[in-house]
Amino acid sequence: MGETVGNLIGLNDEVIHPAANLAVEAHNSPSKQFLVKKIKIRHDLSSVVVFAFSGSMLPKDWSGQPTFAKTEIATGEFRSLTSLNDGGDAVVNGSFLRRFKDVIGNLSKAKELKEATEKKRQVVFAGYSSGGPIAILATLYFLEKQTPSPRCLTFGSPLVGDRIFGHALRREGWSDYFTHFVMKYDIIPRIMLSPSSTEHEQILDYFKSKFDRKNINPAPPSGFYLTVMGNASSVASYEACRLMGCRNPSLDIIKSFIELSPYRPSGTYVFCTGNGNLVVVKNPNAVLQILIHCAELGESNTAEVEKRSLDEHSAYLSELKDCLGMQAVVSLDGGPATATLNDLGLSPQAMLCLQAAEEFENRRSRNLENFRKYLEKVEVELEKMRKYKENAQISRLGYYDSFKLQNEDDDFHANVSRLELAGMWDEIKEMLKEFELPDDFEKKREIIDLGTKYRRLVEPLDIANFYRHSKDKETGAYVIGGGPRPKRYRFIQRWLEHDEKEEFGSRSESLFWADVEQLGIDIKKKGYVQEIEERIQQVERNLIAWIGDRSLDDDVLLENSTFVKWWRDLPPQHKPKSDRIEKLIGEMSERVTQGTKI
Amino acid sequence: MVYVRGRIKRGRRMNQDPLFSSAGELANFVVASNLIDYDLAKNFEFQRCQTAFPCSVQPMVYHPTPNRTIVVFIPSPDCTQYPLPEGGDLVPSPEFKFLCTKECPSVSINRAALTLFLSLHDHLSGLKAQLTEREGQLIITGHSLGGSVASLFTLYLLDSMDKKRKCRPICITFGSPLIGNFGLQHSQWNSFFLHLVSNKDPVPGLFLPSSHSQTTVYKPFGTYLFCSELGCACFDNPDLILKLLAVISSEVAGGLLQVVDYGEILRNLKNKAIWKGPQLAGERFTEPFSAGIIMKLETIGFDQTKLLQHNIDIRRMEAEARSLTKKTKASDIKELNDIKKYMALLEWYKKKSKDAKKGYYDCFKSGEFRRDIAVGEFMGHLNAYWEDMVAEAQWKPQTEGASFRTGWLFSGTTYRRMVEPLDIAAFYRDGGTDYINNGRSQHYKLLQQWYEEDAKPPSRDQLDSRKEKVSALLTEDSCFWAYVEEAILSCESLKNANSSPEQRESSWDNLVMFGEYVMEQIENYAVSPEIFLEESSFMKWWGEYEDYIDTNRNFYSSRLVNFTKRSSYKQYGRRAI
Repeated sequence: MGETVGNLIGLNDEVIHPAANLAVEAHNSPSKQFLVKKIKIRHDLSSVVVFAFSGSMLPKDWSGQPTFAKTEIATGEFRSLTSLNDGGDAVVNGSFLRRFKDVIGNLSKAKELKEATEKKRQVVFAGYSSGGPIAILATLYFLEKQTPSPRCLTFGSPLVGDRIFGHALRREGWSDYFTHFVMKYDIIPRIMLSPSSTEHEQILDYFKSKFDRKNINPAPPSGFYLTVMGNASSVASYEACRLMGCRNPSLDIIKSFIELSPYRPSGTYVFCTGNGNLVVVKNPNAVLQILIHCAELGESNTAEVEKRSLDEHSAYLSELKDCLGMQAVVSLDGGPATATLNDLGLSPQAMLCLQAAEEFENRRSRNLENFRKYLEKVEVELEKMRKYKENAQISRLGYYDSFKLQNEDDDFHANVSRLELAGMWDEIKEMLKEFELPDDFEKKREIIDLGTKYRRLVEPLDIANFYRHSKDKETGAYVIGGGPRPKRYRFIQRWLEHDEKEEFGSRSESLFWADVEQLGIDIKKKGYVQEIEERIQQVERNLIAWIGDRSLDDDVLLENSTFVKWWRDLPPQHKPKSDRIEKLIGEMSERVTQGTKI
Repeated sequence: MVYVRGRIKRGRRMNQDPLFSSAGELANFVVASNLIDYDLAKNFEFQRCQTAFPCSVQPMVYHPTPNRTIVVFIPSPDCTQYPLPEGGDLVPSPEFKFLCTKECPSVSINRAALTLFLSLHDHLSGLKAQLTEREGQLIITGHSLGGSVASLFTLYLLDSMDKKRKCRPICITFGSPLIGNFGLQHSQWNSFFLHLVSNKDPVPGLFLPSSHSQTTVYKPFGTYLFCSELGCACFDNPDLILKLLAVISSEVAGGLLQVVDYGEILRNLKNKAIWKGPQLAGERFTEPFSAGIIMKLETIGFDQTKLLQHNIDIRRMEAEARSLTKKTKASDIKELNDIKKYMALLEWYKKKSKDAKKGYYDCFKSGEFRRDIAVGEFMGHLNAYWEDMVAEAQWKPQTEGASFRTGWLFSGTTYRRMVEPLDIAAFYRDGGTDYINNGRSQHYKLLQQWYEEDAKPPSRDQLDSRKEKVSALLTEDSCFWAYVEEAILSCESLKNANSSPEQRESSWDNLVMFGEYVMEQIENYAVSPEIFLEESSFMKWWGEYEDYIDTNRNFYSSRLVNFTKRSSYKQYGRRAI
C-alpha cells in the first residue's frame, strides 16, 4: 500500500482522469477519428499530449471471418509481433486492425504529434471501449518506429491480441507502456474471450443505442451473461490447467474439439473494485484469471450481475474520479495479497489459480537462474571447440576439413562436444517453445552473443558431418526451408537478425560451408548452367563480405580446405572475375607461412 | 555411479516445487465449453424416439457440421433402466486381443457390453470402414450401456486408425458401467475417453464389490468427470476412480430404477462454472495440491470424513503426481542427445580398439585400459534408456506399441549391435556360460524379435552395397560373440582329457554348426571384418580349432576351413573377396 496508480505504471496521476475523459469524449465523436489534448502537469510544468480515438459499436467492427476475426499481424510495421521460435506470428482481431489502419495515416500526419516529438513531450494514446484497441495498435506502431516511447491508456477496452502478441510485447520490453483499466464486472473487456454470437450483437446493439441517443435509456438485453462468461471461463480454466502443469493428455484432445478464443490480456491491468480500491496486476496469467473469477456470480442473482456488467462499462469516469490520487492501490505482483482478493471477491478456487500463475512466473525465473549455471558449461564446451579450431588451423587444413575426415583424437573429441552442445541448445529451444523461460530471454545480449558464437563455431561441424555421411541423398540439401538444418541454428540466427533489425535469412554466414558443398554436388549433376554460375558468384560475394565483417573466419581460405580446392577447380573463365579471392587466399597462405597468429 | 550388469538406474530427482491439481480446472474447462451439452442433447433426442425394444443398442450417425461426425449409441429404455440383466461377469474376448499388454496378457470384456457389440458387429465394421476414411472431428457417445458399446467401438476404431489417423476421435460416455479388465494407463488411447458420472448414478460402479477387502478385475480407463449438484471434478487415476465409483454405487444402491438426468445435471453445471461458491478466498494455500483435491472431492460429495472412511489417500496421489512432473519434452530431448553422445563415445572406443588390433569386444573383455572402465558407464546409460523404451512399448496395446517402436527401431538395432557384444564380453569374463539362455536380457530379445518382424530378406543389390560398406558395418547378429565363446568352450571340451565321449560328440556337433553359421554370416557380409583382427577371440578360437583339426581330424574340411586356411579373410572387408 501507499503507492498511487501513477507510481505503479510510471505516469503522473494527473494525466489519467483527463485522459479517460478525452477517451470517452472521442469514443462518442464518430465524426473525428481522434481528439488531441495537451495536459499540463502541475508540479514540474511539463506537458503530456493525449490522443484519444473514436469508437464503433457496429458488429462488423468487432468480429469477422475466420472466427474471432483472427489475423496474423507480423508484417511491415508490426514486424516484432512474432515468436522467434516456432510459435508463429501474433494474431490480432482483424476488425480492430482494419479500423487502426483507417486512422494511422491521419494520425502520423497530425501536427500535434510532430510538435510533441520535437518538444520531447510525453505522448499518450488513449481509448475507451472500442477506441482501446486502436490506442493499443497505435502505441505499438510508434514503438516499432522507435519514436520516444509513447504510453497507452485504455478504459474498458476489449482484448486485441493472442498469447504470442503478449509474449512479443514482453520480449521487447514494451509491456509496461500499456495500462488497461477494467471495472470488476464490465462485460466488454471479457467479450473477446467468447466467439461472436447473437449475444455479442445484443450487447453491442445496446451500447450503440445508448451512446447514439445519450439521454434515452434503451432496454438492456438479458441472458447473455451465461454464454459469454461461460466461454470466457472455459478459456480461463484451460489456461489454469496449463499453469497447474496438467499432465492429462485429454486436455489437448478435448481442446481440439472446442474453438477457444485466442485472445489473452497483455500489459498492466488496473482493476477497479467498485469500492474505491484499485488493484494493479502485471502477470498476464494472473490478469486472465482475475478477469474471469472476479466477475463470477456470487450471492446476487444472475440478472443483477448481468445488468451490472452493462452499467459498469459506462462507469469509468466516476470510478476513477473517486480513487485516483488516493493511495488505496495494491500491486498483486509478488503474490496474491489476501486483503485485496477480498476486495475483488475471489473464491478459493480463484486463489489457487492465482497461486499457480505466480508459481509459473517464479519457475521461469528459476529456470533462468539454472540456465546461468548451464550457460557456463556451454562456454566451457565452446572454449574446447575454439582450441580445436586453432589447432586444426596449424595443420593448414582447417577444422572443417579435419572434422570431416575424423582421423584424429581431436576430431572425435570435437564430435562429442558438438553432441553435448546440441543437447544443451535443443533443451533451451524446447523450453522456449513451452514458454518455460522469461519472455525476454531471446532479447538478452549475452544470450544472443553466446548463441551466435556457438552457431558460427559449431554449425560448420554439423555441415561437415552432414556431407561426410552424404545425408543430402536422403534428405536433400542441408539448407532448404524446414529441411535437415537443425532448428536450433535457425532460431539462434533469428535472434540475431531480429536484434539487428535485419531481414530473416540475412545472417547466414554459418551456412557458408553448406553452400560450398551443395554447389560442388550440383555442379557435378548439372554442369555450369546459368543458375550455377549465379550461385558461384553469390558464394564469392558472401565470402568477401563475411570475411570483411569478420563474421566468417578466414580459415576457409587455407590452402588445403574444401573451399579452396573447389574454387581452384572452377573453370578458368571464372578466375578473372574473382581475383579478389585469389588475393585473399594468397594473403592467408602468407600469414600461415610466416606463422602469424590469425 | 554404480555399474551393475551394465545398467544404471535412471534417477528422477524429487521435485520440491509447489504442485497443483488441475482436477477442478479440467472439469470446468469441459463443462463451461459447449462440447458435451451438444452430444448430450442428441443422445436424449434420439433416446426419446426409441420405442421399447427389448434390451438393445442402436448406432446413429450424423454430421452437424461438415467437419464433425457424431456417432451415438442409443440404448433402448429397457437397457437404461435395467442396464445389465446378466450381471457383471467378464468373458475372454479374442476380438479385443489387440488390447493385450504386459500388464494384461488376456483381455476380458463385460458380457452384456460384448454381446451387444458383437450383435452389431457387421454393421459396425461397415461403419468403421466409412469413418476411418473421413477427416475432421469424430465424437462417439452413448448413455449407460450405449456408452459401453461406444467405448468398445472407439477402441475397435482406434486399433485400425492407429497407423494413419485422419480424424480425431473422442469418446464421451454418460453414466456407463465399466467394461473390462484392461487398463490403458500407458497408452495414448487413454486420452480419447471422457466418462461423465453423476454422484447419484449407481450404474458406472455397478459391478464393483462394495467392501474394501474384495478386489475387482475391472479397470477404468480414460478421464472421469464426476459431477454433483455443486460442481464437478476430473480424475484419471484408476485406483481413485474405482474407489469413487464403488462408494457412489454402494450409497445409491437400491435406487437403481431412478434414471439420472444428465441433461439437467449439465445445465446446472454450466451455471456453476461461473459461480464463485459460498466462500471467499482466505489465506494463501501452503499445500495447493492437496487443498485443490480436497476442495474438489468435497464438491462431488466426498468430504474429509468420507475420504478417511474409504481409505482415500491424498498424500499418495501427490507423491505420484510429483514423480510424473519431472519428465518434460525438454528433458526428453536432452536425454536423446545424451544417448547419441554415448553412442559416439562407443564408436570411438571401437575405432581405438581396432587400431590396437584387438577389436572392441576383446578390449572390453580384458578390461586393461582406463577407457574400458569408462565404457561400462556409457553402456549403463544406454542400457537403462533402451530398457525403458522397450518396456514402454510393452505397456501399450499391441498395435499401438508396434507403431510407437517403428520410430526408433532403427536406432534400437544399432544400439543392440553395438552394445550387446559388450554385455556378452562381461558375461563370459565373469565366468558365465550359455549366454543365450542364462544371460541375455529380455530387452535385447524383444529388440531383435521386432527387428526381424519388420526386416525384409536382403536382395542382390543390397548384398552388393553391403559388400561395399562391410568395413563400417556392425556385426548384424548381436549374439555373434556368444557363439564364438561357446565355440571356444567346445574346443576346450574336445581337448580336455576328462571329457566324456558324449560331451566330445556334442562339442564337435556344436563346432560344425558354428562353422556353418560363421560362413553364412561371411557370405552375407553380415559380420564386421574386425572379427579377423589378430588378437580377437574369434582368431583365438580359430587357432585352437585349427590346432585340433590338424592333430585329430586331419581330413576334415568345411567351407570355413577352406576360407580361413586360404587366408581369404584378409580380403574380407576390402571391397571384394
